[in-house]
Amino acid sequence: MRSSILSSIVLHLAIMMMAIVSLPIFNNPDLEIPPIVQVELIEISEKTNVPKVSKKKDKKEEKKIEEKEVEKINQPVMKPKVEKSNEKVKDASDKDEIVKNKIEQKMFENVPIKKPVIKKKDKFDPLKIAELIDKSKDTKTVEEDIEDLEYDALDSTPSLDNKLTLSEEDAIRAQFMQCWSIPIGIPFDDTMIVKIKISLNTDGSLLEPPEVLQHERMNKPSEKYFRTLAESALRAVRRCDPIKAPDINRYESWKRIQLNFDPREILRG
Amino acid sequence: MIKKTIQKILFFYLVIITNASALIEIDITEGNREPLPIAVTNFFYAEDAIKDLDQISIDVSKVISADLERSGLFKSIDQEAFIQKTASMHIRPRHEDWRLINAQALVTGELEIDNDKLRVEFRLWDTFAEKEIEALVLITTIDNWRRISHMIADKIYERLTGEEGYFDTRILYVSENGPKNNRIKKLAIMDQDSFNHRYLTSGKELVLTPRFNPVKQEITYLSYFKNLPRVYLLDIQTGIQEVVGDFPGMTFAPRFSPDGEKIIMSLARDGNSDIYVMDIKSRVVERLTDNPAIDTSPSYSPDGKKITFNSDRGGSQQIYVMDNKGRNQTRISRETGNYATPVWSPRGDLIAFTKNFQGRYFIGVMRTDGTGERLLTENWYQEAPSWSSNGRVLIFYRETKADDTGKGHSSSLWSIDLTGFNERKIETPEDASDPSWSRLIQ
Repeated sequence: MRSSILSSIVLHLAIMMMAIVSLPIFNNPDLEIPPIVQVELIEISEKTNVPKVSKKKDKKEEKKIEEKEVEKINQPVMKPKVEKSNEKVKDASDKDEIVKNKIEQKMFENVPIKKPVIKKKDKFDPLKIAELIDKSKDTKTVEEDIEDLEYDALDSTPSLDNKLTLSEEDAIRAQFMQCWSIPIGIPFDDTMIVKIKISLNTDGSLLEPPEVLQHERMNKPSEKYFRTLAESALRAVRRCDPIKAPDINRYESWKRIQLNFDPREILRG
Repeated sequence: MIKKTIQKILFFYLVIITNASALIEIDITEGNREPLPIAVTNFFYAEDAIKDLDQISIDVSKVISADLERSGLFKSIDQEAFIQKTASMHIRPRHEDWRLINAQALVTGELEIDNDKLRVEFRLWDTFAEKEIEALVLITTIDNWRRISHMIADKIYERLTGEEGYFDTRILYVSENGPKNNRIKKLAIMDQDSFNHRYLTSGKELVLTPRFNPVKQEITYLSYFKNLPRVYLLDIQTGIQEVVGDFPGMTFAPRFSPDGEKIIMSLARDGNSDIYVMDIKSRVVERLTDNPAIDTSPSYSPDGKKITFNSDRGGSQQIYVMDNKGRNQTRISRETGNYATPVWSPRGDLIAFTKNFQGRYFIGVMRTDGTGERLLTENWYQEAPSWSSNGRVLIFYRETKADDTGKGHSSSLWSIDLTGFNERKIETPEDASDPSWSRLIQ
């Protein structure tokens, strides 16, 4: 009797142990929950709704927003300096080697107190991401360096992330439209498109003289209408120099642009 | 290990090359339609010629500026705004100074008197490209400086807009004065900017519808002979006048063919008018329409192959097109209203007309197949459009309504370009009607 009770208990315990070990209901491991990735859905219309003409007021507003953002990034460094005196701010900024276009400079002059102090080391440089992440760079092997370079190069290749947005393209287009005086006397012709390649500095200024891709046609004596059109397009490019630069982080995607000056719809009448 | 490193280096360069070829294309399909800002400077002259050239230097610049501005395509920058002065410009323009005042183009020049002749040298500069884009030397008699100025304006216009200029041209019109029931009408001619005005007839006979020969210094017009309207020819240089043909009925609405060898007109007999063409040399007459309705106002296409005219054969005045032998007569005006005075553009792409609709008069244009009708200007009474030599501007005349006492009636010349925005009054010493715009003076 006693032995049967004991064997029953042992068997029950054995069954319970097996259940605990094997059944998933009793197994409660620590799950590694992946971090939540936030995806913001933005309607294209919001992004493309850019004013056609680069109005001063808009520029001011944009600049203010930019300044606020820069302020946030550099808060710990710049805030005390701003509070101390404007002169110091000026000195500090003089030392900066950040290239700014003329319009931007004017905007800063108008709001000297809010002028952000941007030290070169503070400037965001996508090519130095690896350096920021890996503090042991000095100890890297050549192979590791190459891997970093691969990574950087991939990063600078136009992708969904660093391509010009539609609104940035629109903004560039609007600037050239404003600068272009169309020679409306040119007779309609389906081939009247002037293609100009431009290379830009990071501040939006021309890196080298604009190049008309159809320069042979431009120099033909029989193509005087095309020459007039091409000259008007070149004037527009120079007149717009410097353009208001898009996001510097996407410089690789806008440093070379082909502008197609196409007046056909206007000339068709 | 080495192989792996080489592979990675190759991959790296491949990525760089791919990246380098990435080129964004942006289409610019619209532009700024504001008039192009241009700086026209006073022309430079040597100190010893100050007596002769001081005023001409200023006047040449003024005439060029006024011509360009009148076209509506240019904005002449006020000389008060100029930073660089004439003397230093003579050596080389400082383009940055001109860009600063927003001049996209700059006109400089030099005057000189050589053997009693005026030598005018002009240069057109692109201030953004910082280069000379046109240069020309013209030599003329000193009192011909005004015409030289128009020729320079034409060159500038052509170089910057791509189409031929129209400033070295003249306007022929009927000058009118006196009460409405007893008007004295004289033929008058002037430069397109209203200067060098003169009368060609005395006013004893009534004159109407003068038209330039496109290739000669000759005009045709309608005048009354024994109370019958007849078509005349007049040589502007010699003053010799002759009647065109000796027809039994009335002839009216004459116009030259594009080669200047023929006159196309209406001939009315027994209340019916048809279109005839006459060879000026041989005087051979050919009938082109034969219809019981009134066919009038014929005008050749610039290639001479087609003719547009006006007819009421469909019950109302409409515009028709036929070939130069009178075949394939087709109505092209499609909208409601009465259409008159069709004139083929020298460019060949459009026909200008007068339209009467609901008691208002319009000057408009349509394509040669009647599509794309555009009404450019509307008024109480206006008619008789005539094209500028480049087919961009129309001149016409407009009358103002008399009040209840019969006063206040007037008639004047106006011009409008194809955009419909650049409408300008053309100054004449007296009232004016029936304008005709010459081709560029040869």
